[in-house]
Amino acid sequence: MQADRKTRRRRRLKLGNAVNATLVLALGFTTMVGLISPADSTVGVTADIFLQLAGVLAAVAVLVGVSNLLFVHLGRLPRVRKGGFYSLVVILSAAAVTAVHVLDRTDAWGGDLEGEKVGPRLFGVIQVTLESALAGLVFFFLVYAAYRLMRHRVTWANLVFLAAVLIVLVGWLPLKDWEGAGDVRDWLMEIPVTAGSRGLLIGIGLGTVTVGVRVLLGRERAYREP
Amino acid sequence: MTVENLDLIAGWAGLVLTLMVFSYLLADNFLYRIAVHVLIGTAAAYIAIAAVEEVLLPWLRATVFSDDAETSASIRALGVLPIFLGVLLLLKTSPRFARMGNLGTVFMIGIGTGVALVGAVIGTVLPLARDASNSFDHESVLNGAILLVGTLCTLVYFQYLSRRRSDVNRVHIRTLRFVGQGFVTLTLGALYASAILTSLSIFSSVIQDQLRFILDQLGG
Repeated sequence: MQADRKTRRRRRLKLGNAVNATLVLALGFTTMVGLISPADSTVGVTADIFLQLAGVLAAVAVLVGVSNLLFVHLGRLPRVRKGGFYSLVVILSAAAVTAVHVLDRTDAWGGDLEGEKVGPRLFGVIQVTLESALAGLVFFFLVYAAYRLMRHRVTWANLVFLAAVLIVLVGWLPLKDWEGAGDVRDWLMEIPVTAGSRGLLIGIGLGTVTVGVRVLLGRERAYREP
Repeated sequence: MTVENLDLIAGWAGLVLTLMVFSYLLADNFLYRIAVHVLIGTAAAYIAIAAVEEVLLPWLRATVFSDDAETSASIRALGVLPIFLGVLLLLKTSPRFARMGNLGTVFMIGIGTGVALVGAVIGTVLPLARDASNSFDHESVLNGAILLVGTLCTLVYFQYLSRRRSDVNRVHIRTLRFVGQGFVTLTLGALYASAILTSLSIFSSVIQDQLRFILDQLGG
């Protein structure tokens, strides 16, 4: 009896996988053909609708993700010692941005701020400042990592890597006596680096095609049931 | 509160947040973590607001809540479909109903795969392969040869890195791999240096902005 139930369950799961794989194949193939067909053809219009649906679905997925983030942090609030305070900071920041946006939309600011939009100013202060500062911080990590690279182990690849780094950095400097450094850097960027970048990008493109075909054929497990 | 006061508060807040982030250079500390969590909270809120105002509301106004009398029931139903599929994604958190949540994932993966395949072939592989084949058109023979050999050897390097076959150890393949590795290393080195320069520019710009604000306050 139990064995029968297990077999039925296994069959149902396999049917689920087949339905998912068929849907992926149909949606992917239609989108692909629609994108390379004229925009006013039936398949082109269908692909356009699919793309709009995917955009809206992605927006809903973003909302689901943000709600999940906030619920996780709400759940961590009572555990002060395990980062509950930081969770409070996350929730208060999100609540403040939302509240300011609502006040902006309803034109609720009074006095001298009447008619002003505070949201964009808040964005400039918090989002832009913090992201710029973090991006600036990356400079120190990159320099330190390059230094650590040579301390770890000296190989021919490490030497070539460091030589490229130094050529680009020195070539960037406006040195009067070393004008040749700028020419070497320009040549390096235009010829060998372009060749390497081209090879890497073609490799990435071919990899994308391989994975895409595997997904369309149902060989990838991203949407398959266990 | 006046607009000038608001700008002043914003300037001080920006200075304090910048110092909190740069305090990480001393050690991973309480102030840095607060700044990062402020960024997470605000970024989440801004993304959610953008998703609602720029995508969801215009979509719902054009389909489900359309004032146009000619909007058919099928278009209104189509308007609900992505919302329904998105809500199904919530079920993925439950082990029991996770299968139903797969439907939304299937839509995203199917359409995304179609777009990615067309983009990769038409937008990346074909133009770059055409550029590689025209390597000699605008360059000298030596530079053209370096461009072509570099592109091909880089591809060979990655092709044979992922395979464990006996022909990998043949001398000519090993030579191509060696050359390819050199080009990849040069490229990554140059990109690394560019990243250093970019972050240095951002760092100097941040310091300049904050110093200007401090000097304004001292002078004012």
